[in-house]
Amino acid sequence: MRGWLRNLENPRYLQHLLLVPVLIFFIVWNLIPLFWLVGLSFYKYVLVTGEPLKFMGLANFYEIFNSFGIWNSLSLTFLFVIVGAGAQTFFGIILGFIFWDSKDLPFRRVALTLIFTPMIIAPLASGSFFRIMYDPVFGILNYFIRGIFGVTIDFLGSSAWAFPSVLIVDTWMWTPFMMLMTLAALGSVPKAELEAAEVENLSWYRRLFHVVLPHGKFILMLGILLRTIDSFKSMDIIFTMTRGGPGNATELIGITLYRQAFDAFNMGQASALAIIALLIAISFTSIYLHVFRKKEAAE
Amino acid sequence: MEGRGQKTGFKRRLYHLLLWAISIGFFSPIIWMIICSLKTREQILTLPPDWLFVPTLKNYIALFHMFNFTKELMNSIFMSLSAVIIAVVVSFLAAYSFSRFKPKGTDLIMFLLLSMRMVPAAAVVVPIYLLYSAAGWKGTYSGMILFYAMFSIPFSVWILKGFIDGVSQRFDETALVNGGSRMHIIFRVVMPQVKPGLIAAFIFNIIFVWNEFLFNYIIGGKQTATVPVGLAQGVSVGMSIQWDFIATVTTFYSVPLIILIFFFQKYLLVGMTFGTVRGEV
Repeated sequence: MRGWLRNLENPRYLQHLLLVPVLIFFIVWNLIPLFWLVGLSFYKYVLVTGEPLKFMGLANFYEIFNSFGIWNSLSLTFLFVIVGAGAQTFFGIILGFIFWDSKDLPFRRVALTLIFTPMIIAPLASGSFFRIMYDPVFGILNYFIRGIFGVTIDFLGSSAWAFPSVLIVDTWMWTPFMMLMTLAALGSVPKAELEAAEVENLSWYRRLFHVVLPHGKFILMLGILLRTIDSFKSMDIIFTMTRGGPGNATELIGITLYRQAFDAFNMGQASALAIIALLIAISFTSIYLHVFRKKEAAE
Repeated sequence: MEGRGQKTGFKRRLYHLLLWAISIGFFSPIIWMIICSLKTREQILTLPPDWLFVPTLKNYIALFHMFNFTKELMNSIFMSLSAVIIAVVVSFLAAYSFSRFKPKGTDLIMFLLLSMRMVPAAAVVVPIYLLYSAAGWKGTYSGMILFYAMFSIPFSVWILKGFIDGVSQRFDETALVNGGSRMHIIFRVVMPQVKPGLIAAFIFNIIFVWNEFLFNYIIGGKQTATVPVGLAQGVSVGMSIQWDFIATVTTFYSVPLIILIFFFQKYLLVGMTFGTVRGEV
């Protein structure tokens, strides 16, 4: 018993022992499904038909790259990411600068809680709720629009409006995040340098480019990257509001994958698509870590 | 910041007014949601909106008389707490090892863990669905809880490793020299010093599991459904949208998170960036 305990104390064993639970999780829930996924992507496998697996080589991937639907949803996804993350960054940075000097705001904590609420409540809740606000007949938004412009907009039901309507909700949810990152970036600028800039009476753009950005840029970049990745992943919010419709006007890549797997039960094709999504995610991760290391090195 | 002295009291008050207007602006959809939840269905549908109405708690009382809802709420609470406790304990041990012993492959595993966080949920749900169908884990509590624990691990390991890296090795060495065991060091010396990391990991995983919808919808069953799943299924009955139900459930389900964020605001940043950015707002 003593010897066993002593072995436990030995760093040579302990270092691995401590990892065992995490590794079990990792192997059972990540590695095995991953191999499964890679394997399946070479097969034709439709769940409901009961047909046996059929080896297809790279045909699933070939089909994906030749399918109009997938290019369509990929381009919609990129549009969603660029416009959405772009708008959130833009507004978030502005708000961050506005709130920079807010340390003595009365009830600041309450105010910030109100601002940060959109990003922490369930996307499913905000999606459902915006669905009723967007309603063409009873929705509060259309009530105001009718009052001002005299027209009714079917926000989620018309293919022209559905995409921007979803984008607006996404921007409402995530602008606070970019504001938070901007505040953190501004907070990382040393007070002494700001005071020196004040004494030197530097112009605002020199302050921005020579004082603020050299310190804050990495945090801002991490924020923008996270927004890019997360909006690439967007799923719940669209699922509740439009389910990718009308038609496929809001069908981002996550929804396409979902439809392939759980509407068409075409698991082989879905696996191939999942692998492509996985590779995109891994490249995002590398970029993220690269920026993170640079930030660590700069500090 | 600079220039505070130059501003007069009046300007300052105007500035504060602006900040508050922005804050309330962001919150206004939620205010509308709360107002709706206190109205009857007829009042919700009245346009122009009824600004002066007698608030009623009828919707909330009705909600708690729905057997499904109370069960889903219990599921949400039970599963988020148990999954997160498992995840944080397991991640803390691993993070200690990664931080102190740096076993071979640390960087690779940390990278893979982070990648997990970056993959679209729909891509993860496909193989997990196949695994769970084959193993018969679909719709079981243990299946759901362990899945959620797995999903919370990457994030927790990242946060906790960052915090443990920040605790000087000297503490470990001193304790060792004084005859302390490793278990003593891990739980009595290091753990108390990374409390903020533990809290951040805890809060953010709770929020994640609390809000999670897709996986529960696909690999959960009637038994294990949480409130978001119930909400998705209860949005419309036949052709009619359940306005009062949506408003009440969303309000009720969001309140605990809003309270949490009020008290733990300083962990928000650490949590949302899995420990790569720290500091207070």
